[in-house]
Amino acid sequence: MSIRAFLYSLPLIISMAIFILLWRGLNLHPNEIASPLINQPAPFFQLPDLYRRKEIVNNRNLLGHVSLLNVWSTACSACMEEHDFLLMLSKQQSIVFIGLDYKDDTHAAKLFLKEHGNPYQNIAVDESGQTAINWGVYGTPETFIVDKRGFIRYKQIGAITPEIWEKTLKPIVQVLADEKI
Amino acid sequence: MKIFWDDAFRVCSIALLLVLAIPAFASKDLYPFSTPDQQNRFYTLTSELRCLVCQNENLAESNAALANDLREQIHTQILNGKTDNEIIHYLVSRYGHFILYRPPLDASTIGLWAGPFLILLIGIFYLVKRAQK
Amino acid sequence: MTPDIGLFSLLLAFFFALIQGVAPSLSPRAVVGQFFCLSLSMFCLIICFLTNDVTVVYVQEHSHALLPFIYRIGAAWGGHEGSLLLWCLILSGWTLLFRMVGKRHLTDSFFTKVLMILGWISAGFILFLLATSNPFARFFPTELITGDDLTPLLQDPGLLFHPPMLYFGYVGFAVGFSFAIAALLEKKCDATWIHAIKPWIILPWALLGCGIVIGSWWAYRELGWGGWWAWDPVENASLLPWLTATALIHCLILAEKRDAFKGWILFLPILTFTLSLLGTFLVRSGVLVSVHTFANDPKRGIYLLIYLSVIISGAFTLYAARIKYFYQAPFFQFMSRETSLLLNSIILLTAVATILIGTLYPILLDALHLGNISVGEPYFNLVFIPIMLPWLFLMGLAPYLHWKKTTTSYLFKKMVSPIFLSLTLAWIIPTLSGCHFHPLAYTGIALSFWVIIATLRYAKKITLTLPRYSMIIAHIGIAIMVLGITITKSYSEEKQVRIILHDTVDLAGYQFTLNQLQNVAGDNYHSIEATFLIREPNQTVFVLSAEQRVFVSHEQTMSKPGVAYNVWRDLYVALGAPLSDNAWSVRLYYKPAVRWIWFGGGLALIGGLLSLLSFSRKRSGA
Repeated sequence: MSIRAFLYSLPLIISMAIFILLWRGLNLHPNEIASPLINQPAPFFQLPDLYRRKEIVNNRNLLGHVSLLNVWSTACSACMEEHDFLLMLSKQQSIVFIGLDYKDDTHAAKLFLKEHGNPYQNIAVDESGQTAINWGVYGTPETFIVDKRGFIRYKQIGAITPEIWEKTLKPIVQVLADEKI
Repeated sequence: MKIFWDDAFRVCSIALLLVLAIPAFASKDLYPFSTPDQQNRFYTLTSELRCLVCQNENLAESNAALANDLREQIHTQILNGKTDNEIIHYLVSRYGHFILYRPPLDASTIGLWAGPFLILLIGIFYLVKRAQK
Repeated sequence: MTPDIGLFSLLLAFFFALIQGVAPSLSPRAVVGQFFCLSLSMFCLIICFLTNDVTVVYVQEHSHALLPFIYRIGAAWGGHEGSLLLWCLILSGWTLLFRMVGKRHLTDSFFTKVLMILGWISAGFILFLLATSNPFARFFPTELITGDDLTPLLQDPGLLFHPPMLYFGYVGFAVGFSFAIAALLEKKCDATWIHAIKPWIILPWALLGCGIVIGSWWAYRELGWGGWWAWDPVENASLLPWLTATALIHCLILAEKRDAFKGWILFLPILTFTLSLLGTFLVRSGVLVSVHTFANDPKRGIYLLIYLSVIISGAFTLYAARIKYFYQAPFFQFMSRETSLLLNSIILLTAVATILIGTLYPILLDALHLGNISVGEPYFNLVFIPIMLPWLFLMGLAPYLHWKKTTTSYLFKKMVSPIFLSLTLAWIIPTLSGCHFHPLAYTGIALSFWVIIATLRYAKKITLTLPRYSMIIAHIGIAIMVLGITITKSYSEEKQVRIILHDTVDLAGYQFTLNQLQNVAGDNYHSIEATFLIREPNQTVFVLSAEQRVFVSHEQTMSKPGVAYNVWRDLYVALGAPLSDNAWSVRLYYKPAVRWIWFGGGLALIGGLLSLLSFSRKRSGA
């Protein structure tokens, strides 16, 4: 093939490459931003517990078991939607749910949990939103899977549905549960 | 501006006199700084950072609650004498490079930064070759 | 009933488009039929909006019982389905126009080929509409509903003009595309062809430009940030075909003069329409995060992508196979008009490549799992501007270059005084008006002055014909635009303040006093209006109001900025959120010369349209 013939077919080649890229692009989720904290130790936090204000919830609550740190708030409708499923999970499986109540009205939060049930072992109250910023949270709900050593291994953006749980989260949790400390 | 002036005069002349009598020097900036340089850094920095909630807005523009929190963080950090690089590092370590509207130059973005200039050079090279002496 | 008629005539339009595509003898008649059916369909959709027929899903999603009358018309193309129907209608409108006035000088076979290609393009699009985005889909609600309402952002007179104008431009390039394909099929591209394609490039070019300018002005007065261009992916998409069409218009001059460079003039119409389709895809598929992408349905994206790749790869394959028949090697030296026109194309194509790279790179990295990045305004400012600066220099220089060759000494003699003059004036004028020195501002101002001075000096020396007038006006328009961009970018001032009633804030020598806060009720919103008294440096005083609107339907809040303008500057006030202690957050902007951007852009488009006039005159003379 001469250089000229190559030159003339260049538009075809470039446009095909762009089409393939766009086709891949259609299956991506531009709104979900990969977290730089994956495989990093969970950022330090130390916050009051929702029910026992004098006690603190901190990184120690994440150690020794696989935990799901769920960032939620009563102001967030998607959190309300996933709540029932989380509750069911917390009863069925031996998973530790830690709640991070993000910039919320604590009174409303307590009322809500009283009415709908509490899936969380501990609930840390993040009044200022500073802890959420340290964790790179940019919307509620977000759920972090933290391994036994306290490292973040996965981040779920948006509500957990039964489908997402079965397909994505459950396999990860199972692998992590078998890890030795 | 004549029309505006007439309207203004008719409607508001009394209020005007009252207002003009009050000197206006106190700082009313929403994000007050001690030097104009800090102020400029704040405006530049927030306009070059992307809001993660409303992803088509920058941090300076966005009305999202998180954008507001981050603006306040940046404000405090500038007042505390943090450099631009330190602030950017702080944000990138939490949210990743997505938050930067100007991606850093590294192995994966070499095409982004060099590509356009390379294309221009190839074009000019073609033209020089094509033209005859 | 009305929606059913609309759907039926859409279906009918599809068959007309098919007939237009396959039956050469029936083509011209099918064009009329298709246009009639699509008009009827659009008319039905507008009627559905005017009567607020909420059984039509599209109406229910984009209208509201309280939506004002004019926005109901605009809402007909305010969403995905309706805007695609408008796309089809405009395409068929262009086809009809071509059928009526485009025949002269063209051979029958060529004329029919163009119509048939347009028929295929149209059929594919109407099928897309019917298969994935039926605007007349029904849903019979069991309870009383009022509709979801049009996004408040779109409730502006801009909606009535901006999307149709853009589409007139985008879609109009389909005719030029068909011209190129027909020429490749017939292996013939002569002076008649070049002459005949010109209006079908210049007219959509001007309309698209007009749409971009309106869009920029709309964003400025609507979004509340005083920004007029944000390098948003969808804005970028509209700029791409405009840039390649600009290159094409210049290449047509070149090909007309030298009877060569056919590779360029057949490539650029195809590329231009490709980029139009790509733009439609980017807006409609939701593959990018943008202000403009409201809906996201992957099925639509896949259909559009298939349609796109069939048309484009077909066209470029034909191009690769046939272009060797058009090859010539004309003589020209490096210092010549030919070089300048080709360099123009190369720079503009580099600009296009830059925008494409910037827009698609985040998708590329995401697809390769290399992380999420954002490419935005600071990137484009850093890369785009250095590429466009030589382009401006070339704009002033090109008219002085002769065809084939130009001696350096001649050029030097002509250039010295305009260069010296523009460098001096760019320093003196800002200094005299009290602006501080700023290297980038100096470069931009000097280059704009250079274009204006060099062009005017050229105009003085030659006899002025219509095409030359058109070039001079267009180039000066661009120079004024660049001047506006440079001055606004470099000398704007802004403040974000916390303000209570009767507070005064200084900005750029103006005193802004918050004089009044009052509640105002609109048709479908209620708002808080803040009235400011502004005292100019020369002590005159006027009032300016800005609003914070809350729309009834979804409690959505929108800031409606107040803008006071004259030739030299805009003052821009946007009301932000209410703060504690009765205070409000308010943003104030002083933007010098911002209007020159739109004025200059408009002037450039008028320049382009002027050359169309010469075309029609030559036509009637011939």
